[in-house]
Amino acid sequence: MYKVVIGLEVHCELKTKAKVFSMGPNIYSEEPNINVATIDLGFPGVLPVVNKTAVEYAIKTALALNCTIPNELVFDRKNYFYPDLPKGYQITQFNKTIGSNGVLIINVDGEDKKVFIKEMHLEEDTASLDHYGSYSLLNYNRAGVPLIEVVTEPCLHNSEEVVTFLEALRSIFLYCDVSEAKSDKGQMRCDVNISLMKDDSKELGTKVELKNINSFNNVKDAIEYEIKRQAEMLDNGEKVIMETRRFDDNKRKTYTMREKVEAVDYKYFMEPNIPIIKIKKDWVNEIKTTIPMLQYERIQLYMNEYGLSRYDATILVKDKEVADFFEKAITYDDDYKKITNWINGVVLGHINKYGLRINEIFITPKMLVELIKLVEDKTISIKQGKEVFYQALQEKKEPIDIVKSANMSQIQDEDYLLKIALEVINENKEVVTEYLNGRDNVLDYLVGQVMKKTKGKANPAKASEILKTEIKKLN
Amino acid sequence: MEYLDLTIKEMHELLKNGEITPLTLSKAALERAYKYQSDYNSFVTILDDALNAAKDLDDNVDNPLYGIPYALKDNISTKGILTTASSNILKDYVPVFDATVVTKLKEKKAVLIGKTVLDELAMGGSGTTGHTGIVCNPWDKERMIGGSSAGSAAAVALGIVPFALGSDTGDSIRKPAAYGGLVGFKPTYGRISRYGLFPFASSLDHFGCLTRWVEDAAYVIDALKGKDEKDMTSLPDDNKIYSELLDGKVKGKKLFYIKEIIDIDTKDINQEVQATLDNFNFVLEQCKELGIEVEAVSIEKKLLNALHPTYITISCAEVTSNNANLTGIIFGNRQPGDTVDEVMFNTRTDGFSELIKRRFVIGSYVLQKENQEKLFLNACRVRRIIVDKITELFKKYDGLILPATGGIAPKFDQKFDKLLDRYLLLENHLVIGNFGGFPSITIPSGVVSNMPIGVNITGPILKDSEVLNMAYALESQLGYKGIMAKGGNKNV
Amino acid sequence: MIKKEDLKEYASKLMFDMKDEEYEVLQKEFIYILKNMEAINKIEGIEQITPMTHPFIMTDVFFNDDKVKDCLKTEEVLQNAKEMENNEIKVPKVVG
Repeated sequence: MYKVVIGLEVHCELKTKAKVFSMGPNIYSEEPNINVATIDLGFPGVLPVVNKTAVEYAIKTALALNCTIPNELVFDRKNYFYPDLPKGYQITQFNKTIGSNGVLIINVDGEDKKVFIKEMHLEEDTASLDHYGSYSLLNYNRAGVPLIEVVTEPCLHNSEEVVTFLEALRSIFLYCDVSEAKSDKGQMRCDVNISLMKDDSKELGTKVELKNINSFNNVKDAIEYEIKRQAEMLDNGEKVIMETRRFDDNKRKTYTMREKVEAVDYKYFMEPNIPIIKIKKDWVNEIKTTIPMLQYERIQLYMNEYGLSRYDATILVKDKEVADFFEKAITYDDDYKKITNWINGVVLGHINKYGLRINEIFITPKMLVELIKLVEDKTISIKQGKEVFYQALQEKKEPIDIVKSANMSQIQDEDYLLKIALEVINENKEVVTEYLNGRDNVLDYLVGQVMKKTKGKANPAKASEILKTEIKKLN
Repeated sequence: MEYLDLTIKEMHELLKNGEITPLTLSKAALERAYKYQSDYNSFVTILDDALNAAKDLDDNVDNPLYGIPYALKDNISTKGILTTASSNILKDYVPVFDATVVTKLKEKKAVLIGKTVLDELAMGGSGTTGHTGIVCNPWDKERMIGGSSAGSAAAVALGIVPFALGSDTGDSIRKPAAYGGLVGFKPTYGRISRYGLFPFASSLDHFGCLTRWVEDAAYVIDALKGKDEKDMTSLPDDNKIYSELLDGKVKGKKLFYIKEIIDIDTKDINQEVQATLDNFNFVLEQCKELGIEVEAVSIEKKLLNALHPTYITISCAEVTSNNANLTGIIFGNRQPGDTVDEVMFNTRTDGFSELIKRRFVIGSYVLQKENQEKLFLNACRVRRIIVDKITELFKKYDGLILPATGGIAPKFDQKFDKLLDRYLLLENHLVIGNFGGFPSITIPSGVVSNMPIGVNITGPILKDSEVLNMAYALESQLGYKGIMAKGGNKNV
Repeated sequence: MIKKEDLKEYASKLMFDMKDEEYEVLQKEFIYILKNMEAINKIEGIEQITPMTHPFIMTDVFFNDDKVKDCLKTEEVLQNAKEMENNEIKVPKVVG
């Protein structure tokens, strides 16, 4: 019935040491007003100074989003009055932004979709304003923190696309190492512009702005609530009001923040205190070389070159460090699938459980590959392999050494296995009978018993074979 | 012996040989400051603590400004010292940081005597619009000394201090200099860091100084210039010591004046303007004696008539934005309100004078989306046309020479600050120096009706030393060096 | 002639109000400025010119390195504020 049109404005805090237009500290602190530079307070006579690293991070991100980079760095003033804006204007970019006409490819339901980036600009954050009913308190720690704002074209159509895009965008920030992009710390915030139009209509519907949503989950719920709300209004013949709404965390609904009676005129003009700076092609190219292979390209590579499934590849690239770990591991062995399984299974399972980073654990890609080899050539069982993994982490000993010293070689000796198998058959006559009556799966139980007796050292495949043979003989 | 009547160099020699100490000078400066305060109102704040500062200086007389008393316009940030910009909205503002110029002068061991009165927020040209009172011209109490650096000019003209800093956005150093019989120098844009200067129009604002001799101005600028990492518009060091480059050798220099400004029909002008133009002829004759060639150059009247409205448009636009920080929340004369909007509204309604508010509305209007192209941006375009024209002429000439004003300092009852008055090209050309960031200096050139008048030389960007040298040579030739309103060696 | 109500609206957006007489003075000032700007707009070829926002092009612009060099003490941040609570600046409630 209705086509949903969504455009996003995403703000992300950069992880520079100093703020973007002052030399104050860019650190998060619980204590208020301890990370404030003279300039951040907008005292009469202060002047902005541009942080080179902030600009580099911005250019890097713009390149990663396939944007066009302008030949001049220009900043503009956005003029308005609000208590969290000390100067009475924000230094931002309006006319010539640091990136424009970019694209980010996301994958939704197995299909690639291009999300068009209208523009990307560098600006400063405002102070934090906390409301307490009859009064509010101002903390200037955040004033002047560098922000990148990414504005998409209105080319998204549902909450799944939006969340997928946000996750992909977040990965860009992390892959480029320009931000920690943690939503819960307010480092990544999203404004959603959403309108509904009739399927057969050529005109866009009235746009509603959902402001400052700070978690992807909230974005999803906010969009879905809003779609329902607007659809209901339109069904009832009501007009959707152009306004700004906020999302209530607890009630999981959107509420009116303020009505947009007319668009505010920010009287943008060029910042006179910052000279126009030429952006040299050499500099941009230098920055480009610092961009690692990004998620999308890696997924294509893993699928096409290494034969991984999209599913597995997606898990590997979620975290750049994990993808790098994988890529190092496969330099030692080309059993891509097995390596993937171990990483996505045992390794990620462990680090996710304990909130670790893959680079923090003792096991290196080389050690992992060696461990996998030991399992594959049947020196040890998978079960043993997993035990060795945990032991290696704990004792900080290499897997090979653990296996050698513990004399953990899997028992392959057929005579010994035969002896144990016969013991098990004898002790479990009822189960054997069940098996002979057709219940094949009870064999696992019997294998388990062999494993128990051999303290897990038996080769389960071999044990299974021997058991089957001997049980057949009984028949 | 009135030590304060001497040149900086002379004071420096006496300090070096121990005949006087910094305390001698500071004491004398404070005495004079108090003596003239009620009649002329140079100061917002007189710093009695200057005596301690002078006493505490070490014995190392290591630079020309050591121990020299000076004054600062009260729109310059001084840590721990009240800085009001002569505006009610800042009447209790005490900065937590020093402007870079203040830091430098501290390093040079000069002694700050006081903060001087200005037109409110530097937005005026009469010295009468500030909340800290009007400044009277030391040469005639019934006349103004112009502005906005009124108090600084008066302090130097009275011989309270040998130098005072001011700021110049349209003519705010160079015009009061003319009305006060002083040297007023504004170097190239960016030569002196603007960090700590309360901004009027950031792309037009310049720091500069008022002195009684050109050489003294050179000493001051030597001490202040240099790249500052806190000001992105500051110029790299040129590694020149201007005071050492003053040799008076200007033979062969070529200057031009603008025909349309000087060749006015006599029936259009009054006696005062005529006298000013006669004085200008005198100046041109003296230039000739020095071997300086002066030619008349024609510039389209349309362009010249655009100077003033362009200046108003650009400066009002920038100043509106630059003063949006004055809301009373973090600093300033906060007024009460039930909501934070009311606090900001009441603070600003109460804190600014009506003149300032009118300028803000104009500034805001020209920046509005529907007006910006035709008003603000077109003014910026005309600015470029004018600057390009002058820059082109500077390829052929070493400078532009013109009378600094159209007459002597006006009397107070001549209404001055409504935009419509006194529109003569003679009154409004100094802004050329701000549009292009050109170094520009006014020196006293004569006396009309017992009041001093001045001549102005503006040169190509970065040629600060050359402009100073031309002024230095002319100063000796003209015969009004070091004149003072009270005592001293005045020729009036 | 710009209407007084419009000027009042512009002033209120700048967070202040003026005395009634002042709006009348301002109206006259606007007449002067707009008349002169009209003359400027008639200068031939003006649309082709790039607006000048800085007095000249600086060839040697420096950036700042990513270092912390300016950090005020909390007392300095609050020194000039009139109302504070828990080391933050206090303002009455924000509406809208």
